[in-house]
Amino acid sequence: MINPLQDYLNRGEAIPAYYGEDRLVILPRDPYCLFAYWEVSLPTRERLRQEAGDARWENAAPMLRVYKHDWFREETVESFSDVALRSEADNWYLPVTESDRVYHAELGWRMPEGAFRPVLRSNAVRTPRDGLSDIIDEAWQLPDWKARKLYRRISLYHLSSPEMFRRRKQRV
Amino acid sequence: MAQGFLALILHAHLPYVRHPEHEYSLEEKWFFEALTECYIPLLMVMEGMRGDGVNFRLTFSLSPTLLAMMEDPVLRERYERYLQRLQNLARLEVERTKEDGAFAPLAAMYRDHFDAVAAYCRRYGGRMVGAFRKLAEENFLEMITCASTHAYLPLLGLQKEAVYAQAANAVHYHSALFGEPPRGIWLPECAYFQGLEHILGELGLQYFIMATHGVLYAAPRPKYGVYSPILTPGGVAAFGRDPETSKQVWSAQEGYPGDYDYREFYRDIAYDLPLNYVGPHLHPPGMRTDTGIKYYRITCEGLEYKEPYDPHRAREKAAVHAGNFMFNREQQVKYLAPIMGRPPVIVSPYDAELFGHWWFEGPQWLDFLCRKIAYDQQHVKLITPGEYLDLGFPLQLASPNPSSWGDKGHHEVWLNGTNDWIYRHLHRAAEEMTALATAYPDAQDLQKRALNQAARELMLAQSSDWPFIMNSGTMVEYARQRAVNHLVRFRSLLRQVRDGTIDAEWLDRLEEADNLFPHLDYCLFQSLETTVPREIAAVVS
Repeated sequence: MINPLQDYLNRGEAIPAYYGEDRLVILPRDPYCLFAYWEVSLPTRERLRQEAGDARWENAAPMLRVYKHDWFREETVESFSDVALRSEADNWYLPVTESDRVYHAELGWRMPEGAFRPVLRSNAVRTPRDGLSDIIDEAWQLPDWKARKLYRRISLYHLSSPEMFRRRKQRV
Repeated sequence: MAQGFLALILHAHLPYVRHPEHEYSLEEKWFFEALTECYIPLLMVMEGMRGDGVNFRLTFSLSPTLLAMMEDPVLRERYERYLQRLQNLARLEVERTKEDGAFAPLAAMYRDHFDAVAAYCRRYGGRMVGAFRKLAEENFLEMITCASTHAYLPLLGLQKEAVYAQAANAVHYHSALFGEPPRGIWLPECAYFQGLEHILGELGLQYFIMATHGVLYAAPRPKYGVYSPILTPGGVAAFGRDPETSKQVWSAQEGYPGDYDYREFYRDIAYDLPLNYVGPHLHPPGMRTDTGIKYYRITCEGLEYKEPYDPHRAREKAAVHAGNFMFNREQQVKYLAPIMGRPPVIVSPYDAELFGHWWFEGPQWLDFLCRKIAYDQQHVKLITPGEYLDLGFPLQLASPNPSSWGDKGHHEVWLNGTNDWIYRHLHRAAEEMTALATAYPDAQDLQKRALNQAARELMLAQSSDWPFIMNSGTMVEYARQRAVNHLVRFRSLLRQVRDGTIDAEWLDRLEEADNLFPHLDYCLFQSLETTVPREIAAVVS
């Protein structure tokens, strides 16, 4: 639809595709998936090219390394997994294995000889829990038979009771 | 004391859709339809109960964008004209159907309804906020707020300032319109992220509503499931949605609104009658969009065979369903109260737009339900979340689980391949807004106006409605364009403030076009220092 007011108020401008910055952001989408978006500025790319040399840089492949943090000591990384990216990609959905767990990611390039060159580090996020918490506050506890009755009422209409408890067990 | 409580919560929201530049706008019609079919019928039901001395309590959240539209003079005047056209069409219909035993009473029903709505509007001088405020002052309603432009807070949560501004402006605006601050907040789409409670607590909010698994999966495990609020680390209570009552009303298969005696939404005279007859009365003229005049009942599965609507039969069914709902609540509290050793509170939130628009008989059902609860039983009492907190039961301290009431229970509806492009821009914009608001704490005159307008544009861009519509697949271009418009205008404003080149004439026009929240203060976006995640964008050397 032709809309002169809209054009006037927008001053004929559009939103930029990128902002000329280095940034990697992750957002938890659900208990088992993170969304990542990023931008690597031209000067940074140029610096990387120079560092690697033209030939090596030609054959370097972008990837995301997803770090899973330890359950008890959350500042410590427990393990990581790598996701190969399409070279033109600027966002990615990352499946993860653990609900209620802290993750962060690094964007970088895998060099021809196999080494990972990290470039950007993301924020850290926690995936949502996907079942009842294992943590029980003893001052706030129903006797078992009562708890079962109460949760049965909820699970009748929400998740099945076995499902609610099964999900919980995955982590235990 | 009753054995248990029922908290019925109606959440009303529409994005800010105001287009004086067009003679007609389909998006403004969303608002007009909601007034005619939902908000005013619900108000009439509540006033009817008040008039009859029925003791009822309901909780209503009106989103700040919706409030702003209700207050807008242009939209008020346009609504009056819209309603007049409907009244005229209804009169033509009475004339056209006068020989028809099945349809004549229906045409008269719509004529009377539109006339009643118009009279109701006149009584409040077109200002519906006044009607809600009156019911709140008389303690029938607890009015709660919502994020300013219904932003999807977890996906903005990287910038705590953006979340703070969304909530703080909502609290201020609500307080100005209702004469007192809201006790609670409806989180848009019930979407919660860890840490949100601290921002809400700082603003003096006492509670918010969550999806079932938001409370159920809290840590430590909540002793009472969703039948008692938990106390979050921010000192704010979180109420969890009862899955049983949501299923009874919402479920496509078993829910009440699908009953065959109820009115069929998808058969509107706009599509059934010749264009040369109905065309001049449509909105916009000549374009087949719903009039709200619908003559058939659901009848059966499928859309081919439909029988005429029978209002008496439908009304009886609404009464039966209200009785069924109440009976089930009685059983529910009788089951739960002995287990818990305290009265359970069953929290039943619904979109207000379900009542009257999609579910034509919804307001009648609510009417029957509140009256039956008041007179026909003793086990369940209506309550508002605020009143439940006032009862003073000790609350269990627990951290809620990130969640939403959207499909699959998390953020996927608002974060997928159809709409994820928007977050890059929203995050960047919020960061820039905070940087500028912090750099110019005492802006004056033109600069201040430009910064306030930038805050408006940013908030408009943050509406959860745009990604939601992009995901739904209809009206996608409108949603995309709206998000782009506000981001582009925001960027122009920021550049002009930075460069000291504010275009006053352009700013005038912009303030006129995107005119909500006249008292919005850009300083709400100032840095909250400690909460900004510094690690982002750190280049690993």
